[in-house]
Amino acid sequence: MTALGLYIHIPWCPTRCIYCDFNTYIEANQSLKERYHVALLKEIRETGIATGHPPLNTIFLGGGTPTTLNPNQMLEIIDTVAESFTLHAEAEITTESNPATLSLDYLRAIRRGGINRLSMGVQSFRQEELSLLSRLHDVPTVHHAVEWARQAEFDNLSLDLIFNLPYQTLSQWEYNLQQAINLNPDHLSIYSLILEAGTPMQRQVTQGQLPQPDDDVSADMYEATMTMLAESGFEQYEISNWAKRDIGNASFQPASVRRTEVSTPKLASAHNLIYWRNQSYLGLGAGAFGTYNQVRRANLKRPHDYIKRIETGTGLGMAQDEKTVEAIDRPTAMMEHIMLGLRLTKEGVSATEFETRFEVNLADHYQTAIDYGRSNGLLEWIEAGDDQRLRLTPSGYLLANRVIVQFIE
Amino acid sequence: MNQEKIRNFCIIAHIDHGKSTLADRLLQSTGTISEREMQAQVLDSMDLEREKGVTIKASAVRMGYTAQNGETYQFNLIDTPGHVDFTYEVSRAIAACEGAILVVDATQGIEAQTLANLYLALDYNLEIIAVVNKVDLQSAQPDDVAQEIEDLIGLDAIDVLPVSAKTGIGVETLLEAVVERVPPPQGNLDEPFRALIFDSHYDAYKGVIAYVRVMDGQLGKQDMVHLFATERTVEPLEIGVFRPMMKSTDSLQAGEVGYIATGLKTIRDVRVGDTVALDNNKDAIESLAGYEPVKPMVYAGFYPTEAEDYKLLKDALEKLQLNDASLIYEPETSQALGFGFRVGFLGLFHMEIIQERLEREYDLDLLATAPSVEYQILKTDGEKIIIDNPADMPEPTYIDTISEPWMHLSVYTPADYIGGVMEISTRRRGEMIKMEYLDETRVLIEFNLPLSEMIIDYYDNLKSITKGYASMDYKFGDYRASDLVKLEVLVNKEPVDALSVIVHREQSYPRGQKLVSRLKKVIPRQMFVVPIQAAVGKKVISRANIKAYRKDVTAKCYGGDISRKKKLLQNQAKAKKRMKMLGKVEVPQEAFMTVLRLSEE
Ligand SMILES: Nc1nc2c(ncn2[C@@H]2O[C@H](COP(=O)(O)OP(=O)(O)OP(=O)(O)O)[C@@H](O)[C@H]2O)c(=O)[nH]1
Ligand code: SF4
Ligand SMILES: [Mg+2]
Repeated sequence: MTALGLYIHIPWCPTRCIYCDFNTYIEANQSLKERYHVALLKEIRETGIATGHPPLNTIFLGGGTPTTLNPNQMLEIIDTVAESFTLHAEAEITTESNPATLSLDYLRAIRRGGINRLSMGVQSFRQEELSLLSRLHDVPTVHHAVEWARQAEFDNLSLDLIFNLPYQTLSQWEYNLQQAINLNPDHLSIYSLILEAGTPMQRQVTQGQLPQPDDDVSADMYEATMTMLAESGFEQYEISNWAKRDIGNASFQPASVRRTEVSTPKLASAHNLIYWRNQSYLGLGAGAFGTYNQVRRANLKRPHDYIKRIETGTGLGMAQDEKTVEAIDRPTAMMEHIMLGLRLTKEGVSATEFETRFEVNLADHYQTAIDYGRSNGLLEWIEAGDDQRLRLTPSGYLLANRVIVQFIE
Repeated sequence: MNQEKIRNFCIIAHIDHGKSTLADRLLQSTGTISEREMQAQVLDSMDLEREKGVTIKASAVRMGYTAQNGETYQFNLIDTPGHVDFTYEVSRAIAACEGAILVVDATQGIEAQTLANLYLALDYNLEIIAVVNKVDLQSAQPDDVAQEIEDLIGLDAIDVLPVSAKTGIGVETLLEAVVERVPPPQGNLDEPFRALIFDSHYDAYKGVIAYVRVMDGQLGKQDMVHLFATERTVEPLEIGVFRPMMKSTDSLQAGEVGYIATGLKTIRDVRVGDTVALDNNKDAIESLAGYEPVKPMVYAGFYPTEAEDYKLLKDALEKLQLNDASLIYEPETSQALGFGFRVGFLGLFHMEIIQERLEREYDLDLLATAPSVEYQILKTDGEKIIIDNPADMPEPTYIDTISEPWMHLSVYTPADYIGGVMEISTRRRGEMIKMEYLDETRVLIEFNLPLSEMIIDYYDNLKSITKGYASMDYKFGDYRASDLVKLEVLVNKEPVDALSVIVHREQSYPRGQKLVSRLKKVIPRQMFVVPIQAAVGKKVISRANIKAYRKDVTAKCYGGDISRKKKLLQNQAKAKKRMKMLGKVEVPQEAFMTVLRLSEE
C-alpha cells in the first residue's frame, strides 16, 4: 500500500451556488485569502516533515474553486508540495476549476507550473439550468474554456455534469450529455443532483417553489447516460465516472489488474482511485479529510479557525477537528474497503488483496451479503487471472447502497 | 371508634366535574394534609393521572372532622374515576359506603356519567348529597343546574349545595351535611370479623394491599385472616388506614375503612369483592355479596417493536396487573409482528392508559394492533367458539353465524346537534331506541350500537360533531348475529395477520381501500414490484402496486469524506435491522405503526 495521494482544499468561490453544501466561502476578504495561503504552505511543509517526505502519486486541488487562486499562488503550492514530499515523476496533479475563472493565459501558466489534469465544473449546457443552479458561467464560456485548455496542452481534461435537476426532462439531459461528448473530454464525472440539507435549493424544494426531483427519472437518466457514453467510446470505471476507452493502463495500476478485462482505463482519475481502493491520502487545508496510518481526520472547517491553529502549531494534524479523528480498526477498514471498492465498476474488490490485507476470506466472511447481491443479480464474481473479483453488475450500479448495506454488520 | 361517629362516603361525578379537587379541599379543611404537602388533585398519585389530569384508580383516605356540634367524626372518603371505562371502580367504592357526594359541574350540568354513577349509588341505597361545583366561574349557573338535578334526579333543589372545589366556597357546609345526612354504618361489633375487599394495590415491600371495609367485628394486628374466594390464610404484615399514605394501626373495627397488607405476591391471590374473616372462625360467617367480575370489552395485540423486548413486556404486564386486576393478557404470536400478547381492556381509554404506562414506566416501544371485540361464532358443525382476534376467524364456509356484542348507548346532547348525532350513529349501524327531551335544550338519545363500531372513533366523532357538548354512557346489551366478514390485507400475495379486521360486509370496501392506500404510502419500494391487496375471502376488493426500487446510490465521497458516506450507509443498515419481513418484503416498523394507528380512525 505504497500509493499516497494529497488533497488540498481551497475554500473560496466567487459566488455560492444554490445546491452547494461544500466547505466554501465567498472570496471577499483578500487579506484572509492571503493568510490562508501562507497557512496552507506551512501545513504542507509541516506535514511533509511529520510524515518523513513520503512518495506522492497524486495531488488534487479541490474546493471551493481552486482557480480563484492566481497562478503564482497555485504554483507556490505545487512547488511547496514538491519540496516537502517525494513527488513521483508521473504524478497526477489535478485542479478543479470553474469555467468562469479561466483564461488561456491562466491555463498556460498553471499547466507550465505542473498541473497536468484539469477538472471543470460544467454541470449543464442549458442556460436556464445554469441559471437555476446559480452557476457563475454561461454556455459559451464552457466552449471557450475547453478550447483554451486544449491550447494550453491539457491532455487530461475532465468535465463534471449534474443530472436530474428540477424541471429537467430526459431528453434535455441527453442533450447536455451529447454536448459534453461533442467537446471530446478525456474523462467525465456525472452525478445525480442531491438536495443537501440546509442548501437554498433544498429549502425551495421543501417549500414547493421548486419541483422535487424524481428518483425514477433519475434512474432513467442514469441508464441513458450509461448507454450514450458506452456508444461514444467511454468506459465506466466507477459508478459516477467514465474515462476515454484506452488499451493502456492507468498509472499506478495494481499488478493484479493489469491487462485484464477488469482493467480500469488509463485516463481514470488516479487520485480518486486512491479513495476507492482504500489507500492512504493526506488532506490539507480547511475542512480537508485524510486517512493516513489507519487514522482518519479532518481539519477545522472555518478558514479562520484553521489559520489560527496552523499559525501556532506544528506537526501532523495541527489544525485537526478533534471530533473527526477516528482510528480505523480492522472491521471498519474491511467495511470501508467494500463500500469503496464496490464503486469501482470494472475492478471491484479483489479477493486476493482482501485476504492479504485483512486475513479474512472475502467469500466466506460475507457469504450472506454476497448471496443476496448475486441472487438479486446485483453482484458478480469475475475471474481475473488467478484472482477472483467481486463487483456490481450493471443493474447493481443504481442499487449500490442496497448491496453495500448488506455488508455492514 | 363508635360507629355513630363514622361516615363512609364516596365522591362520584361525570369526568372532570371536580371530584378530586373537591377531595383536596376536604383533606385540607379537615387538616388531614398540611399546606406543605398539598398539591392539586393530591389523591391522583400516579404519574399518568397527574399528567392527564384524570383519575384512573379510586383512592381511599381517612380524615378526622370536628363538627360544629363539637364532636369529632371519622370520615372515610373514596375518590372515584369519572371515565366510563372505570365504572367498575365506582361500583366497588359504592359498596363500601353509606353515602355519596354527587358532584355536578355548574357550567356543564348533568352529563352521562352523572346519571350512570348516580344510578349505581341508588342501587346500593346510598344517601346522596348533590353538589354543584365550580360556582366561582363566571359561566356557572348553579341555580339552573340545581333545578335540573331536581327535575332529572328528583332531589330537592333546595338541598343541592353550591361549592367551589377550587376556592373552598361551601366546603364547610358540605362537611356538616356529611355529618348530618350520611347515615353511620350499621355493623355489629360483637359479631365475628367480616370485611369486604373493595380494591387493592401492590406494594413492593408489603405485597398485595387489600382495601377493606369492615362490616362486623374487629381485626387486631396479630390476627390471622382468611380470604374466602381464594381460600388463603395469611398473617398480615400490617393493618392500617390511609391518611392518605398508609399508616399502620392496631385494629380495624366494624364500620371502618382501612387496609390489610397481605404480603401476598400476586394480585390473583386477593380478589376484589372477596370477603375476609378471621381464620379461627371463618366457618361461622357468611361471605358478603361480592362484585361481578369485570369483563374486558376490547382486545388488541401488543407487540414489542424490538423482538428482544418480549421478556420486558411480559414482566411489565405482570407488574401492571398487580395493580389492575381488570387487565388480562395471554401470549400471542403473529407472523408479521412476532411474539407478543393479546390484551383485554375495559375500553379504549383503558387501552390507551395501559399502552402509555408500558411505554413510559417500562420504557417499551410497542406496536398495538387495531382493537377488536369478542365475536361468538357458531360453526357449521355445531361447535361454538369465541374469538377476539380476527386471525382466528374460521374460513367463511365453516361459519354458520357470527354474532357481535351490541351496546346500549345513552347520548346526552344539546338539542341543536340531534341531526349530527343521529347521522354518526346510524352510519355505524346504530338503532335509535328512544329520544327524550330532558328540558328545552337538552336531549337524551338512546341507541343500540355494535361495540365494534363504537370503538373505531365514535366518541371522538361525537365530541367533534357536538363541539364537545355531548357526553355518553354505555353498557353491554346483547349479542346479535350480523353479516360480518374478515377483511384481509395481502402484501405480495401473503396475508398480513396483524392487519386483518372483522368488519360488516358493507364496510369492507371502504375500509379495504383505505388500508391499501395507506400501506402503499408507507411500505418502501423493494427490489421487485409488490402488489398490495385487500380481500374478503378469496375476493380481492382493492389493490395497488408498489413499484420496484430503481435507485439507491449515493454520489461521490467528496474530497475523501468517507465518514459521511459511511454514516449514511450505517444508518441505512440500522434501519434495515429494524425492518420486519413480510415474506420477502421488508417493512419498517413505522409502517405498521402508521397503518395500525390510522386504522383506528
Ligand atoms: N374554576 C374551578 N375549577 C375547578 C373546580 N373544581 C375543579 N376544577 C377544575 O376542573 C378540572 C377537573 O378537576 P378534577 O378534580 O380533576 O376532576 P375529576 O372529577 O376528579 O376528574 P376525573 O377524575 O378525571 O373524572 C381541573 O382542571 C380542576 O382544576 C372549581 O370549583 N372551580
Ligand atoms: S463553484 Fe462549486 S464549490 Fe463553489 S459554490 Fe458552486 S458548487 Fe459550491
Ligand atoms: Mg379525579
